[in-house]
Amino acid sequence: MFKVFKYTLIDLARNRFVLGYALLMLLVAQGLFVVEGDPAKALISLVQVVLTLVPLITLVFTVVYLYDSLEFTQLLAVQPIGRRSILAGQLLALSSALLVAQAFGLGLPLLVHTPDLPALILSLSGSGLVLVFAALGALIALKQREKARGVGVALFIWFLFVLVYDALLMWLMFAFSDHPIEPLVVPLAGINPVDLARIMVMLQIDLAAMMGYSGAVYKNFFGSTIGMGVAGSILLLWILIPTMIAFRVFQRKDL
Amino acid sequence: MIRAFALLPLLLSFGVCSATSWEYDAHGAERFKDLLQRIAIGDTVRISGIVQEGTITINRPVTIWGREGAVIDGGEKGEVLVVLADDVTIRGLTIRGTLVSNLEDYAGIKVKECYRTVIAGNFMDRCFFAIYLSGARDALVEHNRVIGDDSVDERMANGIHLWKCNNATIRHNLSERHRDGIYFEFVTDSRIHDNVSRNNLRYGLHFMFSHRDTYEDNLFLNNGAGVAVMYSKVIEMRRNKFLSNRGASSYGLLLKEINDGEITDNVFRDNTTGLMVDGCNRIHAQRNEFRYNGWALKLFANATACSFRSNSFLGNTFDVSTNGELMLNEMMGNYWDRYAGYDLDRDGFGDVPHRPLGFFTLLVERMPYAMVFSRSLFVSLLDRAERLIPSLSPEAMKDDRPLMRPPDPKDGTGRKDTVTMSNSAGSGSSFGSGSGISYCWSQRIRSKSWLTLEAHV
Repeated sequence: MFKVFKYTLIDLARNRFVLGYALLMLLVAQGLFVVEGDPAKALISLVQVVLTLVPLITLVFTVVYLYDSLEFTQLLAVQPIGRRSILAGQLLALSSALLVAQAFGLGLPLLVHTPDLPALILSLSGSGLVLVFAALGALIALKQREKARGVGVALFIWFLFVLVYDALLMWLMFAFSDHPIEPLVVPLAGINPVDLARIMVMLQIDLAAMMGYSGAVYKNFFGSTIGMGVAGSILLLWILIPTMIAFRVFQRKDL
Repeated sequence: MIRAFALLPLLLSFGVCSATSWEYDAHGAERFKDLLQRIAIGDTVRISGIVQEGTITINRPVTIWGREGAVIDGGEKGEVLVVLADDVTIRGLTIRGTLVSNLEDYAGIKVKECYRTVIAGNFMDRCFFAIYLSGARDALVEHNRVIGDDSVDERMANGIHLWKCNNATIRHNLSERHRDGIYFEFVTDSRIHDNVSRNNLRYGLHFMFSHRDTYEDNLFLNNGAGVAVMYSKVIEMRRNKFLSNRGASSYGLLLKEINDGEITDNVFRDNTTGLMVDGCNRIHAQRNEFRYNGWALKLFANATACSFRSNSFLGNTFDVSTNGELMLNEMMGNYWDRYAGYDLDRDGFGDVPHRPLGFFTLLVERMPYAMVFSRSLFVSLLDRAERLIPSLSPEAMKDDRPLMRPPDPKDGTGRKDTVTMSNSAGSGSSFGSGSGISYCWSQRIRSKSWLTLEAHV
């Protein structure tokens, strides 16, 4: 597994896309801090960028990379290496490469401009999103045989998480506004990893508004240790379940 | 230093009146109460030591001056000092030991129906009510440190409490850990400036039915419910700071049924709601800074003929919210950090109106739990759509001349530029014409007063 990890990582290091991703993030983050002037405001803009871009780039890159390295995977599969190790090595390498790129592109400007708790939460949830969507990307790449279809599915999934889910939830909220739907909204939003990451960051940034009538409820929940634990567990489930399914698919797959 | 200067004219006047100066030591045989009966009108008593004689009543015009470490301890018998005569001065004392009661308003210093009382430089140590002026005229309360006992909520009452007073001056006081830091009811023609009111259970400043009062350069910090002012006419609030008032019903400044108010050059920062305007007429808010609030401005539909000019809205979660369709107020020439328009003619004002009410603001107003969608991509898109094609927000809720740059005094460019430009271009804007000088002046005052405030704290 370690060998696969190592060689995939070396391959990824040569990949211009990862470097490009790091530079893009650095450009966006640094640019926002410079243009906005006010670090608190820049952070708010950065949150939206991270929550939209990170899932998209991670998903598409993972899918594309796994398709492109299919021949290498086939080569590995004929060697006396367990399939489990192959996938684990590749996934680990992918995730760590993206995490390193993100640490450089996002973490560094944050550390320079606003080394505080909201920034830490933002980079942590950004990392969580990388792991979640790398796992999902692997699953998509293994499930779909065609690259174009795979990328299409990835885009659809991204669209679903970032936009459609919120729209559906809001529609639900309006449709059932005569019913006591309030306690359901947070758990339903919390199921979506993108929303969860957003809520965690917002609890830090929009603190003043969150102390208002119902924001206080969220604050009490997610601000507590239990809430943090629950949020972390949900993210962990989002990482583990797709990964496990991906492993099962890969085991049985006819390469 | 300040105290010494303030004393100088007093001493001089006593010299003219040939008043006697008495020394009183609490360790001596005589009771302070007996001494008070002996001394003449206009005399001065200097106290040293700890006086423990229950309630002490002052019924003739005298000056009581505490030496270093002088304490009057009421021993929880009721009031501590009761002033029943005009021209009484109480200075430099530590006062403690009021009785806590649910029936009577016991106070550290209670002034009843007197003229020209001076209460200065005292330390009010964990009193129930601390300084309580009832029916006082021309009173001066300054440089007092009023610190309550916040260990039990029921034991708390107001720090500086004025009831039916006229022409009072409340300045340079620090009031904390009381129920209301400063409380006014039926107080008219008074000035409240350079005070600090913080960490109070309820309101930092609370006044009702108090007309023609001026509030300047005060700091209200971290109070349970911020500042609430109600049912008053002709008030002026300048250069105050309303900071960190957080909670569901917590407001930087809550204005209810206020007519003819001037809210100028104030700072609202980190509050759940910065400024709430409910049922007010002719409130004119100018050059205020709203920064990092949950809701910067809650402007209810029952407010009429109010104007908001040259304010800056920076980094708030919501800039403006309202509760109805009606909008009979005016917003003009404010700076909005969310403004996405352009300024082709370079006059410092955006060419397209800014609509501060987004879709999400209205949504949260109707369904507070929708707060969970804050800054989600979907909501941002809807927000943008609502700003472009307003269908839900009141038509009049817009700023036709949004500033392109904040009227920030610190960089010295934003507002100055826009003012001179608008004048030279002769664009006929009614606001800001010829206010350049007065603006600079107010800035100078602001920085100066902050120095003294800081020094005082």
